[in-house]
Amino acid sequence: MRTPAALLYMILLIAVTTGFTAAGKPHLPQKKITLFFHHKLGNEELVLSSPVKNILGETITVEKFKYYVSNFSVTDTRGNTVVLPVQYFLVDEANSLSKTIILTVPDISISSIGFLLGVDSTRNVSGVQTGALDPSNGMFWTWNTGYIMAKLEGSSDASASAGHRFTFDIGGFRNGINAARMIHLDTSGTGKQEQIHITADLNRWFKGSSEIRIAETPVCHNSGALAMKIADNYSHLFSINP
Amino acid sequence: MRLTKNIWVLFLIIITGAGWVGIDNRYFKPTPVKFQVPKGWPQPVYDFSKNPLTEEGILLGRKIFYDGRLSKDGDFSCGSCHQQFGAFNTYDHPLSHGFNNSLTTRNAPGLFNLAWQKEFMWDGGINHLDLQPLAPITAENEMAETIENVVNKLRSDKEYRKLFKAAFGDELINTQRVGRALSQFLLQLVSSNSKYDKVMRGEASFILPEQLGYEIFKKKCASCHSEPLFTDYSYRNTGIPIDPVLNDLGRMKITGNSSDSLKFRVPSLRNVALTFPYGHDGRFFSLISVFDHYRKNMVPNAVTDPLLKNRLPLSNFEVGQLTAFLYTLTDSVFIKDPRFAAPGAGNNGKPPRDIHP
Ligand code: HEC
Ligand code: HEC
Repeated sequence: MRTPAALLYMILLIAVTTGFTAAGKPHLPQKKITLFFHHKLGNEELVLSSPVKNILGETITVEKFKYYVSNFSVTDTRGNTVVLPVQYFLVDEANSLSKTIILTVPDISISSIGFLLGVDSTRNVSGVQTGALDPSNGMFWTWNTGYIMAKLEGSSDASASAGHRFTFDIGGFRNGINAARMIHLDTSGTGKQEQIHITADLNRWFKGSSEIRIAETPVCHNSGALAMKIADNYSHLFSINP
Repeated sequence: MRLTKNIWVLFLIIITGAGWVGIDNRYFKPTPVKFQVPKGWPQPVYDFSKNPLTEEGILLGRKIFYDGRLSKDGDFSCGSCHQQFGAFNTYDHPLSHGFNNSLTTRNAPGLFNLAWQKEFMWDGGINHLDLQPLAPITAENEMAETIENVVNKLRSDKEYRKLFKAAFGDELINTQRVGRALSQFLLQLVSSNSKYDKVMRGEASFILPEQLGYEIFKKKCASCHSEPLFTDYSYRNTGIPIDPVLNDLGRMKITGNSSDSLKFRVPSLRNVALTFPYGHDGRFFSLISVFDHYRKNMVPNAVTDPLLKNRLPLSNFEVGQLTAFLYTLTDSVFIKDPRFAAPGAGNNGKPPRDIHP
């Protein structure tokens, strides 16, 4: 009589403990990877408030450069992709801490990573969010509600707008004018798998699929055709440092 | 035997532990409030599951709604532009006054039955009620504040920390909670006690002109201003000519489609006797000028609504009956309801003599 009772409790205990682990963690062993974002203009390190010439020969002084990254995934050498639980980060040149992102990923041999530059449309229509997506971070349009996916602001003599400013606030989540862009980066050439250095080259903001001249369009404040053109450019923004 | 005992001890520890987790939540017990859908109305579109209504949440929302600290200079609360005696419009103003002697570019509509509304503003630019407060808070010609400052002002107030705790379980104050609390209050603003409603419920009857007006209304107006909310929430071009100063293209500003040029949301006509002046920029001073727009002054163009391509012919007789009917949409219980008035303020539903801030 005693043994079956003990056995029963044993089973119960095992059920309870495995139940807890199943609910708390996926089965695959996990590891952490760190992404370091570096901001550049060609070969020059980006420095806020200091003038520099861009690829189209326009001298620009960048005051603000920030963007959202979200919806990460990792792909192993055999081509299996694991989509990570959705997280949102605001990378801000003015905040060096924000340029380092730590992700928990399955312990696989990673050959490429993917992420969304911007915020998916679901989060654009779900009321007020918290954390990186809190509208108080200034990356949100309140009159035509939705996130600014990426923001580049500063001044340039080429700009004919007030104070020679240029203002690129790129957003829009509706069909046909969605300014978020999927980014895929091959990481197989990097030495250390757990530390991935990503460069965002602002020259590609100005010259990617098309050319964006501050002399012609110093301001983008709206979703629509211009925002889509710049978004197509910034879909080429990133590369991996070997 | 010893094994069984050990397991028992372990089991007990787990049970008591789990019990504590439960008790911790039991300290926080706001009073739930059930949202009442008036008889015969459609289900609301607001997702209450994300923001369950509670007495504490509603009370907090009301305090924020009437708090001038949401604006840069402390002068402009939500309630300064949305006045209860005008069914929460800016009473008798084509445009509203904002920070530093500025004016809004649109007419402040009455606020009621917002739980049934999916998008907000005349152009539908705001896609969630919780997000709505962010627009007036940050607009230079309204409250001229930053969201960050507003949240910090509330955080530094002991009274607010207490109220947020009562409503949400802890003292955390952030944009989301401010939005949710305001929504809880705004969702209470249900207007469903006009004479029209009483007639529909069989508690009253129309006099003859009202009845005739109702018949005309169902024929000529109800395809856009549809019952029971008196709007179908669509965006329509009514042949309203553009104002060269305001240059407001309406829905096109949001979608970027030229086919949406000069389209504005069909406004509800509930409480319409109180919400003058009319139109998205308040250009119509009276109902008569709205009728004259429909029958004479409108300028149909390529994107004007098919229903109005040939204007909307109305005889003087019809205008008289329609007016009688529209007056039955005034909800005098709503505009006097003390639950919606500024905390501590008396309310007799009458506009004060001088309503300028
Ligand atoms: C300076 C005046 C002013 C202040 C202050 C103000 N509003 Fe408004 N409100 C307006 C105007 C004008 C509109 C219409 C704007 C538009 O359609 O573009 C409006 C529209 C709205 C709407 C949308 C109604 C609809 O039918 O679409 C809501 C909801 C609202 N306001 C709530 C608030 C809240 C909450 C606050 C306080 C945080 C507030 N308002 C502060 C003037 C104001
Ligand atoms: C094709 C759709 C349509 C029809 C039919 C229509 N309306 Fe309208 N109505 C609108 C729209 C859209 C507006 C807002 C116009 C603007 O401000 O630019 C409006 C505005 C109004 C207003 C101003 C309300 C306010 O608060 O500003 C009144 C009053 C009104 N309509 C009454 C009527 C009456 C009465 C009829 C029938 C004789 C009617 N409407 C038929 C679409 C329609």
